[in-house]
Amino acid sequence: MDSRTPLFTAKDIVKSFSGTQALKGVHLEVYPGEIVGLVGENGAGKSTLLKIIIGAEQPTSGKMTMHGREYAPRNPMDANKEGIGMVFQEQSLIVNLNVAQNIFFGHEKDFRRHGFVNWKRMNREAQDALDDVEVVGIPPRKKVFDLNFATRQMVEIAKVIRVTKGSDSEHCLILLDEPTSVLNEGEVLNLFAQMRKLTAKGHSVVFVSHRLDEVLDICDRIYVYKDGESVGTVDAKQASEKLLYEMMVGRSTTSEYYRLEKQKKPAKEVVLEVEDLGVHGVFKGVNFALHRGEILGLCGVVGSGKEEICSVLCGDINQTRGAIKLRGKEVRFRSPEHALRSGILMIPKERHYEGIVAMLSVENNTALSNLRKLSKLGYIPMKKVAKQADQWIGRLRIKTSGRKALLMSLSGGNQQKVVFSRALASKSDVLILNHPTRGVDVGAREEIYDIIRDLVADGKSVILLGDTLDECIGMSTRVIVLKDGLMTGEFEAGVENKPSQVDVVSLMM
Amino acid sequence: MANPSRLAADRSIMEEFAERVRRSNRNERIMKVAPVGVLIALMLVFTLLCGGNFASLKNLSSLMKQFAIPMVVALGLTFVIMLGSIDLSINGTVGMAGSLMGVFVMNNMFPQMNMGVGAVALAVLASAVVGLLVGLVHVYLRIPSFMSSFAFMYICQGIAKLSYQGKPPTIHDPLFVALSKTDFLLIPFITWMAMLMFVICFLIQEYTAFGRHIYAVGTNEAIPKAVGVNVNRVKIKVFTLAGILFGVAGVLGAIRLGQGQVGIGEDRMFPAQAAVVVGGTSLSGGKGGVVNTLVGVLIMTVLQNGLILLSVNPYVRSGIEGLIILVAVILTVPHGKQVVSK
Repeated sequence: MDSRTPLFTAKDIVKSFSGTQALKGVHLEVYPGEIVGLVGENGAGKSTLLKIIIGAEQPTSGKMTMHGREYAPRNPMDANKEGIGMVFQEQSLIVNLNVAQNIFFGHEKDFRRHGFVNWKRMNREAQDALDDVEVVGIPPRKKVFDLNFATRQMVEIAKVIRVTKGSDSEHCLILLDEPTSVLNEGEVLNLFAQMRKLTAKGHSVVFVSHRLDEVLDICDRIYVYKDGESVGTVDAKQASEKLLYEMMVGRSTTSEYYRLEKQKKPAKEVVLEVEDLGVHGVFKGVNFALHRGEILGLCGVVGSGKEEICSVLCGDINQTRGAIKLRGKEVRFRSPEHALRSGILMIPKERHYEGIVAMLSVENNTALSNLRKLSKLGYIPMKKVAKQADQWIGRLRIKTSGRKALLMSLSGGNQQKVVFSRALASKSDVLILNHPTRGVDVGAREEIYDIIRDLVADGKSVILLGDTLDECIGMSTRVIVLKDGLMTGEFEAGVENKPSQVDVVSLMM
Repeated sequence: MANPSRLAADRSIMEEFAERVRRSNRNERIMKVAPVGVLIALMLVFTLLCGGNFASLKNLSSLMKQFAIPMVVALGLTFVIMLGSIDLSINGTVGMAGSLMGVFVMNNMFPQMNMGVGAVALAVLASAVVGLLVGLVHVYLRIPSFMSSFAFMYICQGIAKLSYQGKPPTIHDPLFVALSKTDFLLIPFITWMAMLMFVICFLIQEYTAFGRHIYAVGTNEAIPKAVGVNVNRVKIKVFTLAGILFGVAGVLGAIRLGQGQVGIGEDRMFPAQAAVVVGGTSLSGGKGGVVNTLVGVLIMTVLQNGLILLSVNPYVRSGIEGLIILVAVILTVPHGKQVVSK
């Protein structure tokens, strides 16, 4: 074991969100002057842990220490006082304020004179803070609005360092959540140089990134998380990308879990074809053909462009290049309604916002999408609605106290089944399933897999964004891998020749 | 650094993204200067079309008089809109302040209530309390600001009418009667007051922490919350400040009219909102400010004045004003998916 005393430790951190465990007891130790990498797939729990460390979220259980003392921040200010600062994944600068005002936002009191803020002194100190991170050529009076992303990132880092310095701690801990995703190569190098300078002074950095080459390049030690658990720690010098991939992915689940016995080879007939599809600045050069009865899985980290591909296919955003062909005919969707009428339906990720009406009953939710068909001269015969609801409750085994029960009284899995019933009732033959099992318990999950298999057996085609990589590979008959807006690989995923998770992950990151 | 060809392709997606951001920033920069361009264009057009009438000294003085009260009202509303909220109590608050002002100075109806200059303080204080209550109800009872403020509009109108019991008092106080006629450097007294309010608001916006916090709350509440700014308090302070300014507007209205009555507040809300939005302060919050509002009020005042000089039918006139507001809202409210998240 290490003989030095750690600057920060986290032990057995558990975090539950309404039933599901995002963190199942993770560990982290950071020594002074160290850069620690945190890697794992989406949903592994990296961001959740960082939010707990900075005090934006409270752990369900577990203990943290900082400077050897017990540490339980209630908010980010508490964290700042202990010398912990964070650069958030989404930039948190206020674009209509200038650089200095952003750096000292919330600390204006320190600059007050006769009730007014002494901007001159603030600008001077902001200049010092910027000089500290060697950001040159940004006047503190410049509005953040006028800065590019890389410079904004450096301003954020200057801000965080400034804040933690104010704590008078000898050593600070700086958390960087995906700081390089908006930077180009030169900017990344500058950032790394700054990180090294910080650690030379005894401060420590926790670095979260999807870019494993960068993580290996800059970090001293790397923690690997998976599904909310720590898988292990490796010394960056002895690690390789391959080793990390292998640690990141878990064991593949058994074949019956994904109903592989029901997986069939798709038909020859092409239902949907996409040629050189792109959205300016998000993704481009995407080509694939979706066959009847096929489940096409899209794999990629958040920001790889897979979500946006779905948004284009269901008419939510417009492509800026390329073509979509539906049953051989070129189409350009003007709206989600248009896509739906053409036969493409998306089951959205955020069920609560986009999929269900929680205050309506089960029967009314099932009838939502075909009310017009049920109605007669504007009058809706409730008997028909009830009959339809009972049919679906039976067929999908929706667990509910009855068709009159409010949807909010159902469990996540059963709510999702109601959403599926609408998809089944619609005449769409292309279904885009965006995380169909998110927030669904294990039992109901298998039933949803069952439903999906039945759907394709009925001749529908599915584009799947899986909740986990395992699910995406397990359910799909073919897998497309995306990275930074480009297709980096394509795998056949027949029952006998599923690609390994490592193969797929190595093309994702 | 693994695969050079892949990296080259990555970069082009990033460059595309950077270009997209640049383009949206450029559009926003154009939108920033657009109101000034519109103002200059309007003045040129009316100078040409109305000949000497528009640019005459007499018309400019009347322009300044017309400008004063809408300016003060719009200043108060600006801060509220910068939060991303709205205040619909204006017609009531301004009317109430004007009525109280009339009732509590020397007048022809209520001799026993004469408070002299104290009436100004009373009227402004009453409006400040209304603003405070609007804010408290909005923040702590979690009622949307349009609803809580709308309710107070009716409450204030009731108070206003009750205060003078159906008989609007005429102001006889020699100070205020004199002020209504006073020009200093050719500029009417109420216009000087409006400019003073503008300067105060500008100082608050630019030189106090509170001013910075308004922008932050309007941009994204989570950011100020994370550094420990009391967001609720910022909101309540903004509504109170707005109440004070509405009170000042009411007092100025009573001085100008020479009478205290609820009608002083009539039709104040919509023009003020129009001016704020036309000036470029976004209804979604976090953007713009009192300088924008100054330009916006000037645009609306010049437009109104010019259309009157051109003797455009008053119904057509209000139609034109409505259209302009609509266009301004369409241009300033962000549509679709934003490239840069707020």
